[in-house]
Amino acid sequence: MAKHPVAKISDLPPGARRLVQVGNYEIGLFNVGGELRAYRNICPHAGAPVCVGRISGTTLPSRVYEYDYGHEECILRCPWHGWEFDLRTGEHLVDPATRLKKIAVEVAASASGNESLEAFSVEREGDTLWVVLPGEAPKP
Amino acid sequence: MSSRPASPRRLIDADVHNAFADIRAELRPFLARRWQAYADTHGIAVPSAGYLSPVGVQREDARTPFGGMAGSDPDFLISDHLDRYGIDIAVLTGSHVLGLSVHPDPDWGNAIASAYNQNLAHRWLTRSPRFRGSIVVNHSDPAAAAREIHRWAPDKRFVQVLMASGSSRLLGQRCYHPLYAAAAEHNLPVAIHPGTEGAGTAGAPTPAGRPTRYFEWHNIVPINFMAQINSLVCEGVFELFPNLKFVAIEGGLAWLPSLMWRMDKNYKALRAETPWLKKLPSAYIREHVYLTTQPIEEPEVPGHFLQILEMINAPKNILFSSDYPHWDFDNPVMAFPPLSKGWKDRIFHQNAADLYGITLKAEVAAPGAGEAQLTAG
Repeated sequence: MAKHPVAKISDLPPGARRLVQVGNYEIGLFNVGGELRAYRNICPHAGAPVCVGRISGTTLPSRVYEYDYGHEECILRCPWHGWEFDLRTGEHLVDPATRLKKIAVEVAASASGNESLEAFSVEREGDTLWVVLPGEAPKP
Repeated sequence: MSSRPASPRRLIDADVHNAFADIRAELRPFLARRWQAYADTHGIAVPSAGYLSPVGVQREDARTPFGGMAGSDPDFLISDHLDRYGIDIAVLTGSHVLGLSVHPDPDWGNAIASAYNQNLAHRWLTRSPRFRGSIVVNHSDPAAAAREIHRWAPDKRFVQVLMASGSSRLLGQRCYHPLYAAAAEHNLPVAIHPGTEGAGTAGAPTPAGRPTRYFEWHNIVPINFMAQINSLVCEGVFELFPNLKFVAIEGGLAWLPSLMWRMDKNYKALRAETPWLKKLPSAYIREHVYLTTQPIEEPEVPGHFLQILEMINAPKNILFSSDYPHWDFDNPVMAFPPLSKGWKDRIFHQNAADLYGITLKAEVAAPGAGEAQLTAG
């Protein structure tokens, strides 16, 4: 496991998204109603940059010819084929076994001295977002 | 004992065309006076698409002993078809009337449907217990179709609702709900049969225009069946009527895997448009849609047909049909590549028995039983 500082918490208010690069990994950071999520920017379906897709709500399961709109700001639609992923779980709405590659996010106090952090330490204060990648840090 | 094939296979034929020697004379007694007058002037007029088979539609060899139209004599139909091939039960699908659903005048369409069903009950279903009837309805007037279903459903000799596959509006649309509600209430499958593609108020046989000749028209009939099944699934008809079964008669079946795969793939992206669908479209098809075998597809490599059957879950969703006495008739003894015993049982009788609530009694299945009962009756 390796932790990488990627952003300031203040850069990611509720509803916001940021794409960050950690070595060879492109990662999408999302603040989903206050909950932080990070996913690899590769759609499990066909390899699209899923994290740049539109964020919206969607229609909930309903009776025939009824429309209940919900999951506001919780659905990420892949830009290639339109598959809908629930940002809270990473799961595809049709087939929950198909899910975005989730990456752990931690919020920690700024750790001065870490050279990787420098890029993100522009801000005077505040907490830093770290992503936790399995294995060693990918080389930039 | 009889000319029955050696194999004691049981057979239910899901598409047998009872016909009329003289349609006006036979339906006239069951028409209201106003429509008798109409029939006296115009005959039992229903729209045709204008595509005329160069080989005729009725088999020449199946004319009745008196030279009447093939399929018009119940006794001859039994000996010429049911006994010859050891068919236990024939589901009758009519002749020359399904165009009533694409006639511009729904009242005339309703009148023919009612007259047809009465004639069927009186002339055919009383003749032999080996006949089962289809309640013909006018889908251009779904409320009237529902009344016709309620009227005949208590008569258990009728085992399904039957209507034209051609339509002015796709059959999944909400205007048809009364028809499906009535069928579902009585646990009657709803079947469609081709012939009206491009006729009367129906749309053109293809969205790109009209085929030029019968051959070309007949080739492309499946496009309409695809459209109707697609519509029924997407509009949520099977969510709304969970016990409704749909039978696609004579529309082919080899195209179904492609449709299912395309629907499933799109559903993964586009489900938000139809949030009432709770599972993959192919799952609705497997649960609700039945297809009949004739005209059976004949690929160069017969094994390819078996692969198609595998892809569409044939052991559950396929019903044997012959289309007697039409020109593209399938002989049950010769039409199929070798099938496993399990598949044979399902396709040749068990699926139809389950779907239509038919119990194949030993005495009915036994050789000659049909004739004996006829004689007794």
